[in-house]
Order: sequence, then structure tokens, then C-alpha cells
Amino acid sequence: MALSLPSGLVPTEVAFLCEMEMITIVPRQRLESIPMLSGKTPALRPPRRADLPLWLALLLKKQRRANIVPPPWLLPASLQEIVHTETNIDPEAFSPPPPAPMRSDGRGVARPYATAGSGNGERELILAPPFLPSCTQDAPSGYLPYHWLEIAETLLAHAADDIPNAPEVRALLRDLQEVRAAKMRASTRHLEGGGGVLNIRGVGAMELAESRGFVLGVVDGVRKLGASVEAGRREEELERGADGDGSDDDMEL
Amino acid sequence: MSYYDIDAILTDAEKVPCKFELDIPELGYLDNNPSQPLKSGTTIGLPLWLAELLALANRAPSSADEDAKSFVSLNMPASLSSEVMSALKADPRAVPLRDQSHNFYGLGTRMLDLFEEKEMCAILRRTFVTRAADIALHAGKAGATDDMGVGAGEEFLRGLEEWERKLFKKSHDGAKGTKEWMEGVKKH
Repeated sequence: MALSLPSGLVPTEVAFLCEMEMITIVPRQRLESIPMLSGKTPALRPPRRADLPLWLALLLKKQRRANIVPPPWLLPASLQEIVHTETNIDPEAFSPPPPAPMRSDGRGVARPYATAGSGNGERELILAPPFLPSCTQDAPSGYLPYHWLEIAETLLAHAADDIPNAPEVRALLRDLQEVRAAKMRASTRHLEGGGGVLNIRGVGAMELAESRGFVLGVVDGVRKLGASVEAGRREEELERGADGDGSDDDMEL
Repeated sequence: MSYYDIDAILTDAEKVPCKFELDIPELGYLDNNPSQPLKSGTTIGLPLWLAELLALANRAPSSADEDAKSFVSLNMPASLSSEVMSALKADPRAVPLRDQSHNFYGLGTRMLDLFEEKEMCAILRRTFVTRAADIALHAGKAGATDDMGVGAGEEFLRGLEEWERKLFKKSHDGAKGTKEWMEGVKKH
């Protein structure tokens, strides 16, 4: 118990990890490609858009060498749509995460989502969420990606002049955060029956970091309170199993 | 549960009413009556660790036709009495659990281990989960706004027992971390 760090990532660590997200910029100056451990960055030619990791994009932005193109889901219309989904259409669940980057082309073949917009065709196909370009200009609007809160806050802090209607975006983000925090608090209610299952589909990294301690605490408490009944139930089941009446057979499909 | 868990130790020290099943000489002082032996049938509050051992241990039967009996018979402590249970059933938020016992849920789980009380288990679970939502709400707000004030937070904390205080601290730490990051993001 010497290490006092809580289990899981703390918010600052989550914010650090989110800096690897790719984001689209419009460069103002030429910059040759930089070889880095994660691969080469694209060479920047002023009018052409390029995808860079967030940390590099922010660095260029601060040096006034680039403008950031906000991801489509960060536009006021998209955020309004998400808030509407969260509050009116489905007041219980969180809004769904972005869809998988494949879609049917109508002939029974699945094609990667939005390969046409990115320009270079030989880009390898990435399917897993942490490496999925969910914050570039190709990202689908109306869906919150995993790092939505961190990206939005960082962009609002450092590139507010690149985001159209930044005050409205800020207000909508506050609404969204409040709504989802209230849902997170209420979601533990489903643990009452002792099912022990909590649906957190679509919850972002920062929200997880924020409520991890609380949710784990509730789950642990419910488990401890139900431990004796659970043990009794197991014993009963064992006894029934020993009798060999085979009542579990009706579980077969 | 760790050996050094201070809450577990304190839970062990909670008094539980026990009815003695036999006369014990020289123990009358427990019942404020030092000159007499302790009569069987007297109810005395014993700490949980002792009561548990005495209730579960069997003494040798005095005659062949008698069944083995324990030294004491356990009863539910007042903090888990049926009045408290029905109050919790009615509205879990309205009961200041700390007034019942500082380790209310800890005591509850220990008693549930000893007694088979399915209904009590369900009530305790519902209470915990319902109050947890409230705790998270307060934990997120505590210290955030000035108008909320320290007074209101303390008043709320006063009604929480140890498990709930831990939960409050955990969720407060999470909310605080996020808030600190959000305020600091502009400085970098």
C-alpha cells in the first residue's frame, strides 16, 4: 500500500495520451517531413491539409505556423445533435461511439470509411479505436470519439480562433459534460439487483478517469454486501448439482 | 480485508446484544451486579469478535440427552433493527447512517454472514446504491463553488458512515483531478 496512485489512469495521464490523436491542420509554412519513432510526419506544403499528432499540431499552432481544422463532431451543429440525442432520444444510455471505419459499398464488400478524403491511398488500414483517426477532418460528425473531452478542451484552450463559434461550442460541451456525468452517477443504480454489469458504451477516456474510483467503489460495496447471499446461492447450486437432477440442462440452446 | 484494516478492527469492536444461555459465576459485574453470578437469560452487549466466537462455539452437553448448546445466542444489533430497516426501505437518503453505526455496512456484512437475511441484504444493497448516487453528486460539487460552502458539505458528510466516506473521497479525487487538468490546460 505504499504507492498511493489510484488504479487506472489519472486525468493528466489521459490528457497526455490524447496528444497522440491525429488532427488535421492547414500549414502556413513549408516544413519537411520529420522522421520520428512513430513514423515520418507528412511534408507540409502550405495550402494542402495534413494530419499530424495533436502535440505537434499544437506546437505549430503556438508558433503561428499552422491552423487547426476542428474535427467535424466539434462543430456546433454536431454537438447540438449529440446533446439532443443524450437528453431527448435516449435519456438512459450514452450516445454511441463512432461507427467502425468500414462500410458496405452495396455489393457485399466492406470498404474502409473515408479513404477518398485522405489523399494518400497506401495508408494502412487501422481498425482499433486508440489509433483510429477519430479527430481528423474525416471523422464522422455526430459521434463522440474516445478522447472527445480532452481534444475539445485542448483545442478550445489553444486554438479557439480556429473553431467556428467557440463560445457556443464551449457552452454545448459544458451541457454535454453535465448530462453525461449525471448519467454516470445514475448508471450505478442498475447494480442494485446484484447483476454486477454496467453498460458504459460510448464513455470517453476522461470521463472514465473521473468516475473510475466512484464506480469501482460502488461495485465493490455491492459485491461485499451480497457476498454472503452469493455464497449461500453457490452452495445451494452445488448441492443441487450433486443431486444430479440435471436442472441446468434447460440452459442449452 | 487486510489484517491491518482499521475499519475492520473497529467493526470487530461493535457491540452486539447477546443472551447468555447459562449462569456464569463471577461475571455479575457485567450486568452491574458484582455480588451475584451472571444469570442465564441476561442480555449484554458484547464486542462482535467475542460474541461471534461464543455464539458459534459449542459447549459440551451436561447430560447425555441434552443437545450441544452455545454459550450465548446472538441478536441483531440496534443499528440493524427492523425499525432501521423499514426506515431505509421507505427512503434510504433520509437516514443518517453514521448515527446508527460508524461502520454500518461493515457491521451489516458481518451480521449477514451470521444470519441468513435475504431481505436485509437486498435493503442494504439498495440503500448503498441509492445513496452512492447522492454521494457522487456532492463529491463533484464539494469545494467547486463558493455558494455551496463548507457548511453544507460537512452537514452531508456527517450522515455518511465509513464506506460511504471512502466512496466520497474516491469520487471527489476523480472530479478534482479532472477539474485541475481543465483549469491547467490553458497554461501549457
